[in-house]
Amino acid sequence: MKRTVASLLAAVMTAGMIAGCGGNGAGTDSTTAAAGDSTQTADKEKSTAEDKTVYPAGTITIYGTGQPQYLQEYYDAWLADHKDIAPDVKIEIVQTEGHAQSREKITMTALAGADDDLPDATYLDPVNIMDLSQAGILKDETDFLKPYLDQMVEGAANDATLNGRIYGLPESVRPNVLFYNKDIFEKYGVDPAMMETFDGYVEAGRQLKEKSNGEVYLSYISPSSKTWRYWGRRGLMPQANARIWDENGSIVIGEDEGTKLALGTLDTLYSEGLLLKSEIMEPALYDAINGQKVATFYIGAFWDEFMRKNCQATTGQWGVMSSPVFEGVGKAGAPVSSYFCIVNKGDNVYAGLLEQLWKDFTFDTQSRNTWVKSMESQNAPYANPISLEMLQDNFWKEPSSFYGGMSFRETEGKCLENGAVNLVVTPQDAEADGIISAELENYVAGNQTMDQAIANMDKNLKAKIGQAEIIK
Amino acid sequence: MLKTLNKYKAPYLFILPFFLLFLVFQLIPAIWTFYISLTNWKGIGTPKFCGFGNYKKLLIDNMFWDALGNTVEYWITGLLFILVLSVLIASLLNSDLLKGKAFFRTVTFLPNICAAIAMGLIFRMLFDENVGLFNELLVFLGLEKVPWLTSTKYSRIPVIMLNVWRNTPWFTMIVFSGLLNIPRDYYEAATVDGANKWKQFFYITLPSLSNILFFCSITLTVDSWKIFNESYILPGPGTSNTSLFQYMYESGFNIFNMGYASAIGVILIVILAVISMVQMTVKKRQGEL
Repeated sequence: MKRTVASLLAAVMTAGMIAGCGGNGAGTDSTTAAAGDSTQTADKEKSTAEDKTVYPAGTITIYGTGQPQYLQEYYDAWLADHKDIAPDVKIEIVQTEGHAQSREKITMTALAGADDDLPDATYLDPVNIMDLSQAGILKDETDFLKPYLDQMVEGAANDATLNGRIYGLPESVRPNVLFYNKDIFEKYGVDPAMMETFDGYVEAGRQLKEKSNGEVYLSYISPSSKTWRYWGRRGLMPQANARIWDENGSIVIGEDEGTKLALGTLDTLYSEGLLLKSEIMEPALYDAINGQKVATFYIGAFWDEFMRKNCQATTGQWGVMSSPVFEGVGKAGAPVSSYFCIVNKGDNVYAGLLEQLWKDFTFDTQSRNTWVKSMESQNAPYANPISLEMLQDNFWKEPSSFYGGMSFRETEGKCLENGAVNLVVTPQDAEADGIISAELENYVAGNQTMDQAIANMDKNLKAKIGQAEIIK
Repeated sequence: MLKTLNKYKAPYLFILPFFLLFLVFQLIPAIWTFYISLTNWKGIGTPKFCGFGNYKKLLIDNMFWDALGNTVEYWITGLLFILVLSVLIASLLNSDLLKGKAFFRTVTFLPNICAAIAMGLIFRMLFDENVGLFNELLVFLGLEKVPWLTSTKYSRIPVIMLNVWRNTPWFTMIVFSGLLNIPRDYYEAATVDGANKWKQFFYITLPSLSNILFFCSITLTVDSWKIFNESYILPGPGTSNTSLFQYMYESGFNIFNMGYASAIGVILIVILAVISMVQMTVKKRQGEL
């Protein structure tokens, strides 16, 4: 009896194993993508039809932030053009609130051991790439990316490189720039050229305030964490060569001259009443822009898509120039990079397909231009390409009616030149951002001076974090 | 022992599912949380044991103390306003003078069924410094605009108002059901004895509701210490509005410092246990338990 039961069990287990092995490859009658296929290189396109990898039917899930429905347009068109290798593949973008939320979802799914529920790819920033790659969740793209590095804008892969290995495919590298309302400057007789330096930027604000009887603000300041994010971490701090940590990870923000220069400049702007206190990306600020009350935005180039969408009343009035520089430092705005990361999910059969998709999005000029035209017609978001060759294409130098005939795209590319180096990213940065931002928010609320805010940042960082890990 | 177990097999079997669920979903996670609080775990990878490091860090963490202070404020104001309003509104709903009771009972309960996040967003618009309705009203009355959400002085007011507005209906219904259970004879006898409505309220209604109000205060205490949505959707500058529960969430899921978040969770459990024990002891001394 026992022997019969044992034989039956063995037969059932063997059948189960066979069925399990065949599960993911169902429906494929030619070479099927293998798990973790990472050898989709540049010469793949030269291969013959017989060598082509045909991907199994299924849905690719990508975590995206912002307004990913517009990116979906590109993906769907791309899949329609690649029926030969992906006849029954669909791409679904799951919208997340931000990179931290994508990371949260991935972490919790991995923790639950539900590998099948992990996305196939996700868009991430350097802080989250650091933690997820250390946990082995992100695919190492070093070998795949090497042939393309020289064809991309300088340092495109830097923020995704850890210990010499690259864990993300560069998606965008966007500089910090200065948007200015030409009509306002003209109306009050202030020369925008004076904003080449931060001293000139402050002076322009003073003149605008005086000549408009306090009606026009130079820019805005947010009462929330966005002030640290946009004015601090991504803006003034890198441009002033400021540091939170030294090369050993010790906290130096309290005595760092760059920090004093960066946050001191913000203090001057705010304490002199040159900044409108308003949350960014909220209707009140858009109303103020449309009402000609805000003259400039010192912020990432991404602001273009928000203005095009929400400030149509100001069409034709805006100009863009390189960020003001600090005298003695002389560096333009630091670029902010975003990465397309493929997830190691046990059996990610679509890794090769996703790499090919990224390659075409990055280097296929025609399809990218078609998509961008569609985006422009919808006032939808798109970033400058990172392919050097594509940037040379005349399409990326076309004038824009929103910028009064100026080419925003060309200017964005130029603003990458002489860019400042971003702050060093450490695994403790998310926590540090919370501590620093809280002090800055208290400063904006009027509860402390900037000197006190910097001293408190230093004190609280030392108490709560102590020392950061510096990962080269 | 076995004999007793055998004798009461059926009752034990009936209560077994609860204990199994309690074990799997409450006790084991609680023990796991305590273990994690002794580690530096980022949610992925292997937890590194750090002893009581996270607890020591909590003692010198300003943000934790801010969150604790805010939560105490939400708790006290919640208890005060919600209980008082619940008793008043329930009494009104139970009053013989009120016509259209069914309509008013439904309307009273509506705030409780609205999604907290949606209401938070509406409150954010109402309290907006530049275009919010409250400031428009102040300007209409010839007063200055108030920076409701951008000043540490005022930013907790919208959170408290939202908390009270959302939770009062629920407790009103509980109190109302208590009112329905008070025998009418008490009031008739009191009326015959010449007691006016206020005296009846203080000498009959409130004492009769004492057990209900005790239950409400325990439930409200637990709810208030878990306040999250209101402060999350109506953030003030820095940590001026952050609740302890929110700080735990942010430490765990924004900063991915799971060990630290677990330590906050353990502190929260201890605080709630102590408060509940104090409430029970006071009640016992009053001879009502």
